[in-house]
Amino acid sequence: MLAAVDSCLLRGLEGRRVEVQVDVSPGQVGFHVVGLAQTSVKEARERVRAAIRNSGHTFPLRRLTVNLAPAELRKEGSGLDLPIAVAICLAESGAAAPPGSAFLGELALDGAVRHVDGVLVAARWLRAQGCRSLFVPAADAAEAALVPGFEVYACPSLAAVMQHLLGGESIDAQLPAALQAPPEPPEADDLAEVHGQEAARRALELAAAGGHHLLFSGPPGAGKTMLARCLPGILPPLSLEEAIEVAQVRSLLGDLPGSGPLDWVRPFRSPHHGISQAGLIGGGSGLARPGEISRAHLGVLFLDELAEFDAATLQAVRQPIEGGRVTITRSGGSVSYPARFQLVAATNPCPCGWAGDRQRACRCTPGAADAYQRALSGPLLDRIDLRVGVSRPPLEALASEPRGEASAAVRERVVAARAAQNRRQGCLNSLLKPARLREHAALEPAARRALERWAAERGLTARGFHRAWRVARTAADLEGAPAILERHVLEALGYRLAEAVAA
Amino acid sequence: MAVVGARRPSPYGEAVAERLAADLAAAGVVIVSGLALGIDAAAHRGALEAGGCTVAVLGTGVDVVYPAANAELAARILAGGGALVSQFPDGTQPRRQHFPMRNWTLAQLSDAVVVVEAAEGSGALITAEAALQQAKEVLAVPGSVFSPLSVGCHQLLRDGAGLAQNARDVLAALGRPLEVLDDPLRPPPRLGPAPPARDGLLAHLTDTLPLSAADLARRLGLPFAEVLGRLTGLELEGAVRQHGAGFVRLTGRRRRE
Repeated sequence: MLAAVDSCLLRGLEGRRVEVQVDVSPGQVGFHVVGLAQTSVKEARERVRAAIRNSGHTFPLRRLTVNLAPAELRKEGSGLDLPIAVAICLAESGAAAPPGSAFLGELALDGAVRHVDGVLVAARWLRAQGCRSLFVPAADAAEAALVPGFEVYACPSLAAVMQHLLGGESIDAQLPAALQAPPEPPEADDLAEVHGQEAARRALELAAAGGHHLLFSGPPGAGKTMLARCLPGILPPLSLEEAIEVAQVRSLLGDLPGSGPLDWVRPFRSPHHGISQAGLIGGGSGLARPGEISRAHLGVLFLDELAEFDAATLQAVRQPIEGGRVTITRSGGSVSYPARFQLVAATNPCPCGWAGDRQRACRCTPGAADAYQRALSGPLLDRIDLRVGVSRPPLEALASEPRGEASAAVRERVVAARAAQNRRQGCLNSLLKPARLREHAALEPAARRALERWAAERGLTARGFHRAWRVARTAADLEGAPAILERHVLEALGYRLAEAVAA
Repeated sequence: MAVVGARRPSPYGEAVAERLAADLAAAGVVIVSGLALGIDAAAHRGALEAGGCTVAVLGTGVDVVYPAANAELAARILAGGGALVSQFPDGTQPRRQHFPMRNWTLAQLSDAVVVVEAAEGSGALITAEAALQQAKEVLAVPGSVFSPLSVGCHQLLRDGAGLAQNARDVLAALGRPLEVLDDPLRPPPRLGPAPPARDGLLAHLTDTLPLSAADLARRLGLPFAEVLGRLTGLELEGAVRQHGAGFVRLTGRRRRE
């Protein structure tokens, strides 16, 4: 007797269809799994056998062959437990799986269906392949229900699935999730809590509006981390499609809460500086798993103590910054993950951290401070348009000053400026290459003179020149000005901290 | 006359060194210093600006300029009729133990030593010590009591060094009191006509205490972005410069650079 059930395996954010074929025939009693099954799939035999028995079904005492097709694809993970068990039960009873259905789930020995990672990714891929119904672990049903136009069955146990398929008590299809963004984005760190720090505030607004990467430089206790945490709150809230993209990466890592899988707040990731290259950009054996840069997709990646990161690790971030994706090849094949994040880096100005502070003197020799700044330089810094010095606010400012402008007000300006950029050029200013800058970021004559004169007198490099130009475009967009005026250029040139660093 | 001090001075120290050296040079004094960053460089620069003659005593061979950032300054010293002097053979690279020896020579070549800003244990204090052992006059410029850079100078003053507030004090110590022309508290007359009317922000800056764009914006109640832009505009014109996190006004002399 023969039965077949569909399932899928994930390679990054892509899927591969796997057909689980079961043949039960006379011969020596045995249970064979073929089709390049790795250890984790081979082990499924024991789980499947126990689960079927403990669900009140009979396990065939004949020659049982499970083929996982296509046979050339290496199969790993526990998600094939459920389809294998279902196929065996169907073969025994002579029934067929509903057309256009797919199964995914791990089995416990008592027949309960357990969580597997990546259900959202699998559901989206299967839907795109024309699949119509999906049986997933009850714990993951909310994830799968995010995909519209799809019947999702939350499976508590193998027994319930078989009853449903063989015409007993049926499982109700999961209702599609409500895909409305909450009217008010939930509380993030608010700029209203930041005292003073006008330069850093303004830089955050420019960074948010133009998508520019940002570097804060300042002594310990200046509030660099707090400022960075405010950035997600002034970025426009995620759109539905974006929220799902963010959720997909989390789903792969088994990181989605079952209660409300969609999070409308932009991710904020701040890996410690001891992180390995695999941890930052993704890696692992077999197929690579997403790293921090992919978890920060569409959000903010905050690298505190930039100078302490391993240089090779930072180098690896360069290509994803340019392309918005990262492709990693491991023994199991190549996978590609999205990594369109906004970088906020923070550093001390010198090894002791106190250069330029009002109250404390820097103890570094001039040579040491220069060497520290040079160590920071390099290709990564080249991608950072905005570099701002942050100083510790005077204590009296903390006590007396009125609270700053709230994030919501800043966000409104940011949203308007981003809309203007998308209308004009279809992308954010930070992505404008020099040729497109000339096309879309016209400089008033006075503005051009100021920029050129500065470049000539201060030895601005071509990169530095374009950085200032892009930032000036964003400053103009925040004002709603069609052309870039002299004051926009002058402001942009004002954020040139550590110009010598990596000009 | 030797003018020496910290390698990472405050804007105040730099302004004093430059002005003192210029006034002394204008009175015909040869300024001797060590071509280091900071006060030394400011002293050489001031002397050159006043059209004076200045001598750099090096801790390396005369053919090695250290630090490299001062290569241009070294060339200007030679072009201005000054000299690079060294007790070390050609090609000697900078070594820690050479500099105290250089400081001794520097004191030897001078009639008196003026210290402008020196933290505790600074090389400038070694020069002052050497000058005392050679029975040369030592003067010190007072600084802010809040600044660690003043500690060395104030210690010298307490121990009996001469008080150097301006070129007049220094020349008096040399026994040439009548040649003084300038009082540094007044803008020197040779700066030429006043600069054309500039951004009013300039009036809020000093030439010694850096003020950040944020502080200035807060004080004036103006948007930060506007103030930063205007300050950068002034910087482009050469009227102000950045020092650390803040801006200082440039003195007329430096503006002509």
